[in-house]
Amino acid sequence: MGQTFSFANIFSKLWGTTREIRILILGLDGAGKTTVLYRLQLGEVVTTKPTIGFNVETLKYKNLTLNIWDLGGQTSIRPYWRCYYSNTAAIIFVVDSTDKDRIDIACKELHTMLKEEELQDSALLVFANKQDQAGAMTAAEVSQALNLTDLKDRSWSIVASSAIKGEGLTEGLDWLMDVIKDEQL
Amino acid sequence: MSTQTYKKQDAYASTSGLPDKMAIFQECLQQFNASPVNAKKCRQLLAKLLRLIYYGESFPSQESTTLFFSISKLFQHKDSSLRQLVYLTIKELSSTSDDILMVTSSIMRDIQGGDIIYKPNAIRTLSKVLDSTTVNAAERLFKNAIVDKNPVISSAALISSYNLLPNAKDVVKRFTNETLESIQSHKQFPSNQFQLHEFYGSSTSKLPTTSYMYQYHALGLLYHLRNHDKMALMKLITTLSEGSALKNSLSIIQLIRYINKILLDDESLIIHLYPILAGFLKHKSDMVELEASKTLVSLQHLIKDDQFMSIITTLQKLLGVPRTATRFAAIRLINKISTKHPEKIIVVTAELEELINDANRSISTLAITTLLKTMGAGTIDSGSVGGESVDRLISKMTSLMDEITEDFKIVIIEAIENLALKFPAKHKKLVSFLTDLLRDDGTLPLKTSIVDALFDLIKFLPDAGAKQLILMNLCEFIEDCEFTELSVRILHLLGEEGPHTSNPSYYIRHIYNRLVLENSIVRSSAVISLAKFAAICGGEISKNIQILLSRCLNDIDDEVRDRAALSLKFIGGNHKNLIVNESKYDLSALENKLTHYLNDESNFINKFDISEIPIISNEELKSIEYNRKINRLDSSTTDSADITETIDKSKDNDKSIGDSVSNDLLKQQEYAQELSTIPEFSNYGKLSKSTITPIYLTEKENEFVVTVVKHFFIESKKLVLQYNITNTLPRSVLQDISVIAQPDNELYEEDFIIPINELKPDQNGIVYVSFSTPTIEDGDILVAFGNTVAYTNKDIIDEDGNVDPRDDGWSDEYQIDDLEVSAGDFVTPLYNSNFTALFDQLDNYETSVVTISGTDTLENAVTKLRNSLNLLPLDGSDYVPSDSTSHILKLLGKDVWGGKVVVSARLAVTGGKVVAKLEAKSETETFSSIITGGAY
Repeated sequence: MGQTFSFANIFSKLWGTTREIRILILGLDGAGKTTVLYRLQLGEVVTTKPTIGFNVETLKYKNLTLNIWDLGGQTSIRPYWRCYYSNTAAIIFVVDSTDKDRIDIACKELHTMLKEEELQDSALLVFANKQDQAGAMTAAEVSQALNLTDLKDRSWSIVASSAIKGEGLTEGLDWLMDVIKDEQL
Repeated sequence: MSTQTYKKQDAYASTSGLPDKMAIFQECLQQFNASPVNAKKCRQLLAKLLRLIYYGESFPSQESTTLFFSISKLFQHKDSSLRQLVYLTIKELSSTSDDILMVTSSIMRDIQGGDIIYKPNAIRTLSKVLDSTTVNAAERLFKNAIVDKNPVISSAALISSYNLLPNAKDVVKRFTNETLESIQSHKQFPSNQFQLHEFYGSSTSKLPTTSYMYQYHALGLLYHLRNHDKMALMKLITTLSEGSALKNSLSIIQLIRYINKILLDDESLIIHLYPILAGFLKHKSDMVELEASKTLVSLQHLIKDDQFMSIITTLQKLLGVPRTATRFAAIRLINKISTKHPEKIIVVTAELEELINDANRSISTLAITTLLKTMGAGTIDSGSVGGESVDRLISKMTSLMDEITEDFKIVIIEAIENLALKFPAKHKKLVSFLTDLLRDDGTLPLKTSIVDALFDLIKFLPDAGAKQLILMNLCEFIEDCEFTELSVRILHLLGEEGPHTSNPSYYIRHIYNRLVLENSIVRSSAVISLAKFAAICGGEISKNIQILLSRCLNDIDDEVRDRAALSLKFIGGNHKNLIVNESKYDLSALENKLTHYLNDESNFINKFDISEIPIISNEELKSIEYNRKINRLDSSTTDSADITETIDKSKDNDKSIGDSVSNDLLKQQEYAQELSTIPEFSNYGKLSKSTITPIYLTEKENEFVVTVVKHFFIESKKLVLQYNITNTLPRSVLQDISVIAQPDNELYEEDFIIPINELKPDQNGIVYVSFSTPTIEDGDILVAFGNTVAYTNKDIIDEDGNVDPRDDGWSDEYQIDDLEVSAGDFVTPLYNSNFTALFDQLDNYETSVVTISGTDTLENAVTKLRNSLNLLPLDGSDYVPSDSTSHILKLLGKDVWGGKVVVSARLAVTGGKVVAKLEAKSETETFSSIITGGAY
């Protein structure tokens, strides 16, 4: 299985410039996924409503075409995440660092998701979001709460961010691009 | 081979060339999930997929869901044509896929900031995707889209809101202001709208800048939001009819229809609304003029004669326009007027005569039938002069009859029959026209329609001479008739009618000729026909017939032999009632009962009880047929009936007008069945009569709607009032509902009330109130009831419609309209062709003079009298020529005690009032005085 996949990857390196890289933004409702998406695409903060379904945007980043899917985080929509897993290069998991009550649920959703076959080769970037607010957990605390250290055979990173202020997003994305270039192109 | 090639060319019938479903499905999954997406390929695939769906193919839910998710992935591509197809497909899949809400956010984003090209598609798809939980999120979007300057977007939003109504009425109600703003604004297509499309290219300068179609859409939505609020509706109508607020002719037509609806509900508004309608009679669009005329014609009882003339003027103008459809519509309307008021359209006779030669045969046929009616009116008014014009028209028709096809001939035959029925005095000319036509060559349908017409004339013409004339003509016809069906029918009719004529032997000769010359089917019906002569005429004739029949015992056909033997046995053994029926079972009730019986096997334990089926005497059967006939005549003229139906869905009168009488009998059966299941009424015996249509005792938009049905049990002297109550309060539960009915006649005594325990919102239930009634001997059987509804009201506290168990509610009373038991409740209409003889026969003469209230025209007075007395007008006496000042109305009916009632009413207009002198006679003693006293 892995053999065939890497074959395909080598092949696609020849066309690498035109290939689109699929990235999913996931996380619980109210974590700031849609804000992250449009901060990345438009560079500004948009007013958002709870996403019923998904938003999808294409953006050029360092000569790469990124196809970013922001899926709604409400309980009713989470079961549909799996419909969009295939061909995903990376997952951006956004966590509301102030929401200590639901960090356990976030942890559970994250690990269930990562067990999926289709996501075995995807890189994981966690945004410990909403650092601008008082009482936010640090990236280390979030990492611990999410049991990120348990993850084997996967490139992952956690970055403290504030989508409102635009902090941490580019750092995170830069890391992600490097990993994708190394592993998949 | 030839059929196959033919099939392939038929683009509609053939599904050949339809792509394979599963192949398309697989290809879709592959292409839609590809990275990057190939827009052109996906567009072609979606088009193929849509073609499959439009042909009625559907996917199982699993496949449908997979398909939906792969299509949703196409949102990543910005190609606007692809996006349009995506929307079309999602719209189609929305009914089969449960996960449709996943595209909500993406669609909303497109509506907010997307390309103008696919915005309307997005709006329309959104209305399919939203459910009651997500609709609130889209409220702002819809409001913005409705007031959008681009008419296409505005229209899409308006129509989508309309489609959202059933699920989210509360939300859509909040769009009212935006919709109003939209209807009064001026929106133009953006100048680049079409340039974006390669098809229109450079020719954009010739395209219209606006169609005002959004006004039509907005009007439709507004009406649905307001149609329960009469005041708001009136305001809307007056605002929109001022000046040229509405620029789109379709929206004006719609407005006219709404005016019509509101007028059907409340006729008193005609004073305010007539000027508006009259204004539309002169409009630059002929569609609008036609719609206004049509509406005014259907409301003609509300408008004055000089106002009516302006309709005629408009129609007269429209008769001369080059557009065939317009001419046809105009002449149809004129034809409609002619059935009721032929004298009013005499002014357009010249135009009509020209139209006889119109290239369009539908128009020429209508022109002839209309002229036939105006001629009829002329005859009555001016004697011999009118007679000449009938002659002229008939000669004109005879020459035309050779040119036109049979379908049109049939229409004309019907018109002639109707004319003869309405104006019995002119029957001779018309009958001879029909019989001439019968002698000419023709196919079975044509001959059947002529024979049908003649049959009806025999049944309903009062003149015995006419009957004789037609029968003799029919005899002549069967001498040389190639259609077995017709021969059999005519022989049957001869058997029914012949024995009662003055010279039965004439017919016997003709019938016997059939026995000698015809095939076995005709022979056997001739045998039965002869047997009837023997049974009824008796004496010498009977003996002679027995000789004739005994010769048939040697016939080569066994059916003929059997019938002859059987008939001889009956005649010889004096079992004449086995040959001649005085009464028949009510066939529709019989059918209904039999189906009911056969549907449930457990019924088979008991025998089918034929005694439950009502028996109809020949006399009653005739009234049913007559009614059906007259109603059919009228139904072709009053389209307003079906408009009433659509407004008033609570009245479940989905019956076709033609069969209303037999439906009434069925309804009566239903009531009887319903009542028999209630133990309290078990000893009440046979239900004598129920009022069929429920009477409204409240406004239809009240907090609760009450209708009532009166059930009379004459034998056991009981009256049961059935109050149907509907709770229309959305937030309240009504409990312990009863109706207090207070009679103003002391002879009526209340027995008991069966209340309703509970009514949740939109539920309905029945309260029964039973009374002991006086008998006919007591004389004073008329009564009025004052009605009050008493109930306990409790508020609903949660979404499931439950009430707080600790809430005792509050009891309340509510007074509703009074209910009258009138003389008409005790009678059913009856038909007889000879009114004068009947009137002379009966006793118990009573007379009275009454002023018919609430009307100043004879026509309305006639309708009022008819309805209040519930009697059948005879001899065409319900037709009132509009310029006469006095009229005689002849009415007949049967009372619930089984006796006949005749009323002759002389009406006259004096000083703006209609006064009627009623003369009534009845078989049942004292009932004639009730009739004369009960008219109003």
